Amino acid sequence: MKPRRQTAFSALSLIALVVFLATLPLWIDDYWVRVWTGVAMWAGLAASWNIIGGYAGYISFGQVAFFGIGAYATAILMQPGLDWNFFLTLPVGAVVAGVFALIVGWPTLRLRGAYFAIATWAMAEALAQIVNTVDFTGGSFGLSTPGNAETDFFYYAMLIASTVIYLLVFFLLERSRFGYKVKAVRDNEAAAQSLGINTTSVKLQAFVLSAALPAVLGGIDAYWITFINPQSVLAGDITDQMVVMSLVGGLGHLWGPAIGATVLYLASTWLNARFGSSTGYIAMIGALLALIVLFLPDGLVGLMPRARNMRLVRQMLRLPDKRTRAAGQSSGASGDRP
Amino acid sequence: MNALAIKDLKRSFGGIQAVAGVSFNVAVKEIVGIIGPNGSGKSTLFNLLSGTIPPSSGAISLLGKDITRQPAYKVARQGLGRTFQIPTPFINMTVRENLLAAAVEGEWRSARSRADEVLDALEISHIADDLAATLSGGQQRLLEFGRIQMRDPQIILLDEVTAGVNPRLRKIILARVRDLRERGKTFLVIEHDMELVRTICERIIVMDAGEIVFEGTFEEVARNERVIDAYLGRPET
Amino acid sequence: MVRVAMQLLVQTIIDGLLVGGLYVAISIGFSLAFGVLDVVDFAVGEWVMLGAFAGVASRAWLGIDPIAFLPVVFIIFASIGLLVAPLIYRVRTSRYARPALMALAFTFGIAMFARGVMLTGVGFDPRTVETHLVGGTLMIGGIHIPWLRLAGFIFAIVSTALFMGFLFFTRTGLAVRATAQNKRNASLMGIDVKRLSGLVYAIYAGLTAMAGVLIGAIYSFTAQVGPQYSLLAFFVVVMAGLGSVGGVLVAGLFLGMLQALVTVYVGADYTLAIVFGVLFLILLVSPQGVLRRGLAA
Repeated sequence: MKPRRQTAFSALSLIALVVFLATLPLWIDDYWVRVWTGVAMWAGLAASWNIIGGYAGYISFGQVAFFGIGAYATAILMQPGLDWNFFLTLPVGAVVAGVFALIVGWPTLRLRGAYFAIATWAMAEALAQIVNTVDFTGGSFGLSTPGNAETDFFYYAMLIASTVIYLLVFFLLERSRFGYKVKAVRDNEAAAQSLGINTTSVKLQAFVLSAALPAVLGGIDAYWITFINPQSVLAGDITDQMVVMSLVGGLGHLWGPAIGATVLYLASTWLNARFGSSTGYIAMIGALLALIVLFLPDGLVGLMPRARNMRLVRQMLRLPDKRTRAAGQSSGASGDRP
Repeated sequence: MNALAIKDLKRSFGGIQAVAGVSFNVAVKEIVGIIGPNGSGKSTLFNLLSGTIPPSSGAISLLGKDITRQPAYKVARQGLGRTFQIPTPFINMTVRENLLAAAVEGEWRSARSRADEVLDALEISHIADDLAATLSGGQQRLLEFGRIQMRDPQIILLDEVTAGVNPRLRKIILARVRDLRERGKTFLVIEHDMELVRTICERIIVMDAGEIVFEGTFEEVARNERVIDAYLGRPET
Repeated sequence: MVRVAMQLLVQTIIDGLLVGGLYVAISIGFSLAFGVLDVVDFAVGEWVMLGAFAGVASRAWLGIDPIAFLPVVFIIFASIGLLVAPLIYRVRTSRYARPALMALAFTFGIAMFARGVMLTGVGFDPRTVETHLVGGTLMIGGIHIPWLRLAGFIFAIVSTALFMGFLFFTRTGLAVRATAQNKRNASLMGIDVKRLSGLVYAIYAGLTAMAGVLIGAIYSFTAQVGPQYSLLAFFVVVMAGLGSVGGVLVAGLFLGMLQALVTVYVGADYTLAIVFGVLFLILLVSPQGVLRRGLAA
């Protein structure tokens, strides 16, 4: 039970954050608004990856496919001749991505995590190749979307979309019945089944959710950058970044992806401006991922003093834990963790 | 109507017959013990009953309903609960959250207060907010037992539930088992601890090499030559 | 007309088998590393890529023909593997949440790191490994068999045979197989699982890098080619079922043939989609090999 003072502090800082983000365009220039639009997008992308990777414990290496589906849905529907309203294209992308996730997830989620990782990776690469070849997606030439010079519009679009994502994650996964189901499946599937949980269905629901959300962000992105092709919206690098941002920030934690996305995206922007190339960024996030897994598996969130995850860090470092000693039992977990 | 009716259950892995034609019934409110040497097929039997693995042939019915070949979650929803030989707590959740997670497929609104009741009954309220990963082995078994209580199943399979548990916790578990039986639950218990078996089981089934070799009360089992040779061993003189 | 069509078919199949041999070489080490370390090494394609670049470097910097340089490549990359393996082992055996997936993420990280460093160092330009030791084409009944590809195939078969010989006829090999089957029992029998894991990973890295030199001689490559080969290795192992060495042989050759057939008869652009489609179907139908080990939650 949190003491009242801490709840007040959390609420206040949350309000401050909301005010800060909402009024951002008023006091920085266009360049930085664009940067923060990117931050908002990646924070949302990482959070959606976190649903299947962090909360459900199934690492997907194909999330970019859903981002790309959303981007292409919006781009295709906004082509001359179809001329859909931008906002109406977003749900279409989300539905298509969700259905795709259902089809791919159904056989693969029954298996071990490693197979799922491989299968999703293969799915994304295959999709990129198909999109590159087929006509109605513009093939390797890509598609253009109608121009819209309103930088602020896109900032708010991304911000609102990402905020909705975080609210969904909070209400669906942090506090709710569904959240307990997902986390139970993650922690021990056999035990979850013995408690009546249909684990395959739960995994599928989490996967579909994790697919529909980046599709919306992809749709906004397509409209924003006015030109998309498989390289820009279906590249494996996009999934890589989602994975690293979530892991660096904190897996299975509400704010982990946001922290990871902010830190890494700002770092990449700085690197790009400074050195003009993005390959150094790839090396950097690869190294960072390896180091985090080795030394800080809870991510940056684990550094926060009040994070519950701190207890796991303490256990790993074998620091004394006052609570278990007081109970008069010796501490120490048992059994293997496969 | 029997709580459990098992007919000619068989299960092989490759060339090995882990369960080679097992048939028995368990009446409602009975506490039946299953004993036998390692590798006799006891755990496989439990896995078959709980739906974790499908049988090669045979039939299982739970409270009159046929549950053969149903997946584990469906069997659980029909009213079967079980513990595992190696405790399987949800390690990234606290003790209380573990209990709440056990209630997801049932009454949710009362889950919190029921969890508090279970915590009290098992005398683990003081570690309610500790991560399950930091619990001792005995506490984890207790937690697993508590999780079953959250679901209120009619038939409960206990797989060596008191192995490595200190006497104090053992007494708590036994008391709860008796209490639950009074309320109409049926128990099927795998045990190696003969003292426990003698105290609590009304009927004992002895398994060896995938078959049932004897059925009876504790006294009958202890006297039976075949059981002694296969499993119990002769008393030191 | 039929004869020409037949000849094309046979040529395509032969081409496929030849390259399939190299896929086998990559996948065998990978499959065993998976069995012993219990980790999907996402860096398998990067070992191939790094090996290919080592082949380029051996000629460009040292003036040594890459094929002659193969044993050195093995030693270099086996040594690197020996350094990396303990880290993977440590992550995999930590008493932590989801160590299997954390270890996977770790290999993913080092793969990205390797790719990023190489991209920064050598750029995006495609290269080929040039060898003068092997060249020319063998002609058998109208079928072209480039010596280079045949050499690659022979290398694959020989190294696979040596590897199998090591596994089945030496005491260390027996220890490796025992560990791959059941790690806990193996360590209870006194096998130093950690040291063994390091050994297996080192051999696997060296072997895969050598295959990379040969692949680099046959196909042009860039620093970004890693993920492609990782995917191929994964496909082979998933199809073969874990731990099945014989299965890897069949699956690798099958993959090579499938790829060649698709390239010639459907179009190179569709190879990945079709490979994934086949992979997907296999997972749907779930042959026992994949499913049995796959359902451990």
